[in-house]
Amino acid sequence: MSIRTRLTRIVGFLSVGVRRTVARATATDRQRVQFTVLGVAATIALLVVVTGIGVGLATGTTVYDDDVDYWIVPETDGERSLLVATDQPQFGSVHETNDRIRSYEGVDVTSPVLAEVLRIERDDRSEFVLVVGVVNAPGLESVAGVSTDALSHDDPHYANGTYDGEWTGEVVLSSGAAGLLDAERGDEIAIEGEERFAVHDVDEGSSAGGNVPVAVVQLSELQTLTGASEHDQADQFVVGTTTPAVRDDLEGVYPTSEVLTRGELTATQVADSDLSLALALTALVVAISIGTLFVLTTTGLEIVADRNQLATMSTLGITTRSQLTLTGVQTVIVTAIGGLVGSVGGLGVIRVVNEIATRTVTTEPIAVSHYLFVVYGTVVALAVGMLSLPYVMLLTRHVTGGVPE
Amino acid sequence: MAGPASANRASPPPVASATDVTKVFIRGSEPGRIGRLLGRSAPPTVTAVDDVSIEIETGEIVGLSGPSGSGKSTLLHLLAGLEVPTEGTVRFQGRDVASLSNRQRTRLRLEHVGIVFQHFHLLESLSARANVALPLVELGVGRRTRRQRAETLLERVGLGDRTGHRPGELSGGEQQRVAIARALVTDPTLVVADEPTGELDTDTGRRVLEEFERATDDRAIVLASHDEETLAISDRVVKLHDGRVVDDPRPDEKGVVDHRSGERTVAEFHE
Repeated sequence: MSIRTRLTRIVGFLSVGVRRTVARATATDRQRVQFTVLGVAATIALLVVVTGIGVGLATGTTVYDDDVDYWIVPETDGERSLLVATDQPQFGSVHETNDRIRSYEGVDVTSPVLAEVLRIERDDRSEFVLVVGVVNAPGLESVAGVSTDALSHDDPHYANGTYDGEWTGEVVLSSGAAGLLDAERGDEIAIEGEERFAVHDVDEGSSAGGNVPVAVVQLSELQTLTGASEHDQADQFVVGTTTPAVRDDLEGVYPTSEVLTRGELTATQVADSDLSLALALTALVVAISIGTLFVLTTTGLEIVADRNQLATMSTLGITTRSQLTLTGVQTVIVTAIGGLVGSVGGLGVIRVVNEIATRTVTTEPIAVSHYLFVVYGTVVALAVGMLSLPYVMLLTRHVTGGVPE
Repeated sequence: MAGPASANRASPPPVASATDVTKVFIRGSEPGRIGRLLGRSAPPTVTAVDDVSIEIETGEIVGLSGPSGSGKSTLLHLLAGLEVPTEGTVRFQGRDVASLSNRQRTRLRLEHVGIVFQHFHLLESLSARANVALPLVELGVGRRTRRQRAETLLERVGLGDRTGHRPGELSGGEQQRVAIARALVTDPTLVVADEPTGELDTDTGRRVLEEFERATDDRAIVLASHDEETLAISDRVVKLHDGRVVDDPRPDEKGVVDHRSGERTVAEFHE
């Protein structure tokens, strides 16, 4: 038999396998095929959901426990960054508003945030650094990934809007900024030429995005440097709360603002990426094991039920090898369909889980939902199908032959 | 239409022949070592075909008649290469079927034998056209040719407008005609049909038989049936009883019908 003939035969049986599966799934054997598809789909949906949660944990967007953070930002059309918003509309009278927000029930901590990229000089070094001004208060812990512990509370220089209170000159540098400036605690630095600043702390464990150099200072002192003291301006507010219901109050603070959630500011990092990886891997192993066992069981039953048709094929002269091709194709197609249905279903379940979570215990999604999960789930389902093939083929070989009854 | 049952050595061998064939089936499984140690006896056996000899020539329709359990179906299966004899020899175009491997026998059926069952045995999830074309897939025939050949045959059996229907959407008669088209699609030299009209009403059965009559060119057909009308299209009817041939009217080389029997010699018959 020539290669071409062989190829034609293989393609022919692949085509017959596809048509046979589709017909069985939609007309002649609906219940049995659908049962198998649903079984695989349920397993893959579980995989997708657990993986979504795992990825959610790993990417750190998940807010755990009852810690809830909000960012109040001016309403704009463009994209906004939580760190750099110098060309965005700003809020005014922010110290006063900050006191008001702090008075809301359920609010643990709040601070206006002003961020500017400014030149910082130390000795002969001069670097541009993202300078973030905050009103420190107990519980704020960090802003832009840099600890605020070393800053005095309540922004003394503001002094009820007179801006003649004590000038603290306190600066906390991220490790990136300290490295750039070769600065350490106690060093004196100048921000935009103003020399009354000193490094009070270098946050070695700072998690500022990438190696972005960040310097955290008192808000009123930054406002003074940048001219934002005129209307007591800031870019955003950060609010730490344990009560999601606070959101309604926050939305009424400024008429043209948006209230966003962020987990990275004060949320306790209860899960690290190792746990997430372990979670995702466990889900994968469980999905493959359970999925394969399920496919083995249902496909096995299906093949036994199908033996009369297999025997018919044998009598017609269809070789066992071709029958194996048919049952193999059918198994892989059914598992692939199950994978697809399960993946899409899993994304749906993630939505539901996130919806329930945000309505009850968190303010932002706990699981990540991504279209690549569909590809992932389908590939895993295909792997399940492939793993089932040896048994499926063994069984087919065993039951085929003879004379149909 | 009676075929020449020639003993002339120069003539081609019969399409299929059975010589002194016995087929014994075992009911259940043989006891293993432990089973034998435990005193399990050998399972009972059934002799379905007992010392049968028959020849099938090209161009003839041979009927097999006899009551249920007489061995008609088993003899059909032996001639079609679906079973191998326990004793004796079944030859297909001169080749000893028992000497062929499983795979070779499957190939032989694919290329040379068409089989029609009482219960049609069409693949439920495939259309009539795909059912008919299935053996051609195994032969590696291209899609267009498969389709064309299947449609031509379905047209020929009067189902040109039902090619896309699945078996569940066809009547019993239509299904049997699809089965006949499937049996003919590889242009086999032997078609065996086991009770081909057993599930059909009289009119439908008659139409199916017409298809068989039209299909005899260059091939032999063996029909097993209880039904006299079905057997009436046969050139000769071989009667079986309890697995043995009790009557096989066939012409000898002089053109004289020779009524043979598994129990009787020719001389005894003429006495």
